[in-house]
Amino acid sequence: MKLNSEQIIDKSLKLVVCFFVASAGLWLLAAALFAYISAAKLTDPFFLSSFEYFTYGKIKLAQANAFVYGWGGNSIFAVTLWIVARLAQTESRGRVLVIFAGIIWNLAITFGLLGILDGHMTPHEMLEMPAEVWPALFISYCVIAFFIVVVHRSRKNKETIAPQWFLLSSLLWFPMLFLIAWNGLEINPARGTVQSVLSMWFGQSLIWLWLTPVALGAAYYIIPAILGRAIDKYYLAVFGFWCIATLAPWSVVHHLEGGPVPMWIPAIGTVMSIAMIFPIAVASTNFHSTAFLDISKVWDSLPLRFVIFGTLSYTISSYIGVIFSLPSVAKITQFSIINDFHFNQRVYGFFSMIIFGMVYYILPKITGNEIAKGAKAFHFWTSAFGVLILLLAYLIGGLTHGVLAQQPSLSWASSVISSVMPYFLITELAFIVLGFSQLVFVINVWKAIIPNPFAFWTCGDSQSKPETSA
Amino acid sequence: MNNLLKFTIGIFLSLGVAWLAFVVGARAQFGDLSPSSQNLDDDGNIPLDADLYPLPLSGTAEQGSKEYLALGCMTCHTQQVRMVEAGFDVERGWGQRPSVARDYIHQEHVLLGNTRIGPDLANVGRRQPDLEWLHKHLFEPQSLVPQSLCPPSPFLYDQVDQPSDKSITVVDDSNISRFIVPSIRAKRLVSYIRSLHQDYELPEMAFVINEEDEPDEAAGKENLLDFDSNQSSLPSWLDTQIASGKEIYMKAAPGGGLCFTCHQPTGEGLAGQFPPLAGSDWVLGDKERLIKISIYGLMGEIEVNGIKYNNVMAPPGIPPGSLTDQQIADVLTYIRNDWGNSASAVTSLEVSAVRSQIKGRAPMQMWTAAELNAVDE
Repeated sequence: MKLNSEQIIDKSLKLVVCFFVASAGLWLLAAALFAYISAAKLTDPFFLSSFEYFTYGKIKLAQANAFVYGWGGNSIFAVTLWIVARLAQTESRGRVLVIFAGIIWNLAITFGLLGILDGHMTPHEMLEMPAEVWPALFISYCVIAFFIVVVHRSRKNKETIAPQWFLLSSLLWFPMLFLIAWNGLEINPARGTVQSVLSMWFGQSLIWLWLTPVALGAAYYIIPAILGRAIDKYYLAVFGFWCIATLAPWSVVHHLEGGPVPMWIPAIGTVMSIAMIFPIAVASTNFHSTAFLDISKVWDSLPLRFVIFGTLSYTISSYIGVIFSLPSVAKITQFSIINDFHFNQRVYGFFSMIIFGMVYYILPKITGNEIAKGAKAFHFWTSAFGVLILLLAYLIGGLTHGVLAQQPSLSWASSVISSVMPYFLITELAFIVLGFSQLVFVINVWKAIIPNPFAFWTCGDSQSKPETSA
Repeated sequence: MNNLLKFTIGIFLSLGVAWLAFVVGARAQFGDLSPSSQNLDDDGNIPLDADLYPLPLSGTAEQGSKEYLALGCMTCHTQQVRMVEAGFDVERGWGQRPSVARDYIHQEHVLLGNTRIGPDLANVGRRQPDLEWLHKHLFEPQSLVPQSLCPPSPFLYDQVDQPSDKSITVVDDSNISRFIVPSIRAKRLVSYIRSLHQDYELPEMAFVINEEDEPDEAAGKENLLDFDSNQSSLPSWLDTQIASGKEIYMKAAPGGGLCFTCHQPTGEGLAGQFPPLAGSDWVLGDKERLIKISIYGLMGEIEVNGIKYNNVMAPPGIPPGSLTDQQIADVLTYIRNDWGNSASAVTSLEVSAVRSQIKGRAPMQMWTAAELNAVDE
């Protein structure tokens, strides 16, 4: 059978994309386990308390890092590799090196998380993994990014479109952000609270400039691809892109409101956060006015349902984020568990939901194996339900937490924190639901990659068996 | 957008401008702050003989900051008192003034934190300097603050079977005593926690409230109101004694009695666990028994108003047994004259008389109710 050009590209990508998707799935399960343990420790402080490896603080950070670098990093590689190669109409390059770098990346995260659990964490936001693993992470990242850029440069059509801007910029922003932060925090460390500004800036920018553009780029790709129609008001996309590029790195510092830093830092952050309504509005208009032209098709296509859930979540929660950056509101919510709301809505409700959709779209194309519709639907509904419950609990719990903390007469443990307890219990339940949901996702993915796991042993079949790391 | 080089330069610039501000700009502005005196002289210079703040950390505290980081304490605790207009941190008693950048210049790693599931720790060393309290809290926070969500750290302590001069006694709700010996890591951590206090002024930030006179003033006002409305006929010396006794009863800091944690602010106790003081036959009865309990504590079964209780009352005071004769007199006078109680005052002379009568008793050896009643008869 003669393959058409798209199938040839897919074939060249099969091994690398399967490798990254499969490892991403395992990290997702690890993160789900950590998430459950940390939530359970908040409802019962004696849970696993005699093991030093499992203090709440360590587990919580291990979860964030497994989620962002393990699940986020691997799925970013998978999605970016595939979309960039497809849009460039070019076969992937350097597959052996990319897989090798991918193995290093996953090993480095494994050692990094073990390092956190063993008490070797750094105090820098989203750079908590011990200093020793970062060179390995950085170099393996650069190798993978290099081959993606090589594919992009040899593209057939010189015109670029929105998905390429977002994916390429995310690819290049991460090493830049990392070098700035690493230089200012470890190589040539700043003194006093300059460190805090820099570490906070990196931690928040990482979400805005690494995870967010990938999810937006994927949405810009998949919505027209499935609906078969162009993005409505596409001319706005370029404006939205440069707004994010120029405003996001400024807006994130509003979290330092009232802290021991010069006032101009949080003030600029607040102003830029308010300006962020422009790019949010652009993305929202592009995605939703296109999708709502053909809403029944969105509903029928499961990948698209995931993606539209993600873009809706992006719009709503980003506007909520703008409100929470206003000083009079930040005063209440600043140190409350609203922070968990922000993190989870961004990496879960938005980024992960879009990635789930993308994976369900890509996998059947490259492996030729369909994923059972019921299993996908189960994953969608449990994820959607779990995320909604989780975010509502963090949002309402966070407001309760913040408002009560502003009453100096209420005692801390017995009034403020015990009023938030019911919400901790809800998050624990939500994490159980999400854990099952993610388990189904991983089974779906692994079944598509290796439909018959025992064939490999029985017939010595040439079926590719992806490397795993966790 | 189509030329990869131009595109790369574009997105590099977008990040670079923010980098210029937050890294280069911030470093230039406050990256090289040095310690300063509390006040500057008229020319804006640091006086030659002035003490410089912040003080550097001791070696042990420095080690402790690494334990603090390694255990992940920063996930739930901030170390920053926000500006007055940005939150009620000062009102909550978390500091005498907002934190400023200069407070952090000696710290190798600045552990500001961004979530408060636990209280802010910027001034915890000032709020809670008691070593034993901190060790008990690290070992099992719930033994001191029942609702605490803070995870226990039993791995920092050795549990021993017999109390010794190195061990600390932790009593849980089911009345079982455990004896713990802090490891070197626990000692470092406690040393670090005790070193956290921003209790000095800096040229850029003066105290917002002065805690030295604040509690007295506040307590005084509160009590004046109470007594104005209810007991205005009491003689002023009794008023003063009751007011001081109430403060000791309610105070959970050195110099206080920590009585309210068990007997409750209402004096009602906790059913089945801690006996009530309001209307209690023990409180309104013989003063000598009361004074003895206030000096040495009480353990074992006791019958109050016909109901049996079995628990341990450590010698009152922080640290235990530290209340002076006058303080014991004040707090006993207070509990005999609140919540509807009305009985004669206790004087410090009565307390010192009892103290000298029982001075042969081993320190910290708690009474039992049977022993007290036997003496009585």
